[in-house]
Amino acid sequence: MKRRYSLTYLIGESFKSLWRNGVMSIASVTVLMSCLIVIGGFALIILNINKNVDRLGLMNEMVAFADYDLTDEEIASIKDQIDKLENINSVDHITKDEALEELKANAGEFGDVYAELEGEENPLPDTFHITYNDNSKASTLYYQLIQIDGIYKVNNRLNVANTIDSIKNGISIVGVWFLAILFVVSVFVIVNTIKLAVFARRNEIEIMRYIGASSWFITIPFIFEGIIIGLLSGGIAYFIVYLIYRYIENNAASNIQMLSILPFTEVNMLLLAGFVIIGILTGIIGSCTSLRKYLKA
Amino acid sequence: MIDFKNVKKVYSNGVIALGGVDFHVNDGEFVFIVGHSGAGKSTLMKLLLREEIVTSGQVFVNNHDLTKMKNYRVPKYRRELGVVFQDFRLLPNKTVYENVAFAMRAVGTPAKKIRKRVPAILSTVNLYDKFDCFPSELSGGEKQRVALARALANNPKIIIADEPTGNIDPKMSMEIMNLLIKINRLDKTVIVVTHDQKLVDYFQKRVITLNDGKIVDDHVGGMFE
Repeated sequence: MKRRYSLTYLIGESFKSLWRNGVMSIASVTVLMSCLIVIGGFALIILNINKNVDRLGLMNEMVAFADYDLTDEEIASIKDQIDKLENINSVDHITKDEALEELKANAGEFGDVYAELEGEENPLPDTFHITYNDNSKASTLYYQLIQIDGIYKVNNRLNVANTIDSIKNGISIVGVWFLAILFVVSVFVIVNTIKLAVFARRNEIEIMRYIGASSWFITIPFIFEGIIIGLLSGGIAYFIVYLIYRYIENNAASNIQMLSILPFTEVNMLLLAGFVIIGILTGIIGSCTSLRKYLKA
Repeated sequence: MIDFKNVKKVYSNGVIALGGVDFHVNDGEFVFIVGHSGAGKSTLMKLLLREEIVTSGQVFVNNHDLTKMKNYRVPKYRRELGVVFQDFRLLPNKTVYENVAFAMRAVGTPAKKIRKRVPAILSTVNLYDKFDCFPSELSGGEKQRVALARALANNPKIIIADEPTGNIDPKMSMEIMNLLIKINRLDKTVIVVTHDQKLVDYFQKRVITLNDGKIVDDHVGGMFE
């Protein structure tokens, strides 16, 4: 006799049992959804903090002012010394003439005011715009610059740089651990919830075994159930996070000028994919591990 | 064909459930297995269903050597048996029809054949008019008849009934037993494990009596101490 298993039957069976085991299904979806919202929310917070920190990081810049009465050779030697320092990304030498031109340009139609300052009368110093790579070594760089002969002042944002650096380190360490722990806890909670759901149906499984149903015939509806629960929880969690994020984007963020919030469109795919994958995986893992106990022949 | 050859079963906690059991059941036979609780009846059932494996000896069912059977072969083997339990073990959230159809789906029967066969089986056990009921809406006797219909669904050669009348009133018990006799006439081997002395005496079939893990009596014609 030809054996034929109907996939539509098995999927239909999953929906039916989800419906008939209503309370357990709702419990599973609620638990999974809550876990996803917490994980998703935390991931979004970390993403946003990192973005803001990176943005601050773009301001890795110091400006060194040279003494007024230096010869061209002396200026060149200062530039040489700066170039040789570690942690330098770029050095941009702006001569006093260039600085004056810039002032003029910025002044627009009143640029002529500066006309009489040209040449020997120029009161502006030569400056070096220095960008550097490593925020954590910014203070070293600052002290090295200030010690160079002919430099009388270095403008810096050292305190900002140091704060950013420690924030970034702290966040990435705490964040990664927190996310990992959260994920493990979620998997445990979800797997246990599904275990309860499977336990509630151990009679059904036992009957199937006595009838001679193959293991996968018993397992597949549970896996589909896991997938459906995962998809449902992921979908609802996504929607809720979307609403909350939109609210924050529109209200809270505009009150804090310094922060820039990632637009939701930039993270939505990542979030949705993460939710659906975590949801489905935990659903499947939960179903399979809980069933294994009952399937030993 | 069922063949037990010097079967011993010792559980991991040291309990000797069966201490050397020999018997043979031919195709188409009707056999009562009786004995006090603890005599080894349940263990015998578990060995037949390949839920447990013998400690020593051999069990043959339909030419399968159960002592050597691999786990993954067990589901297919169980399809050759129809099992009825004292507590019915129906799926509570499926209707009568679905409970029977389920057994056929579980072994991959095409939907067309299921639609044809389920009503026929339900008629055999006189339950056709209840096909849309859930088990909770049925009496004990009716539930057992559904269980019997399910056991028959895949047309097994052997029907094993574990205390099939244990949970139902005497009048219904007779009806269930008559159904089992009727099934036996359809050329199926029927094994009935029971406590019910009246039934055993009434039907005058072969009786195997177990005591303390051993067969103490094996004869045709009812009566057991």
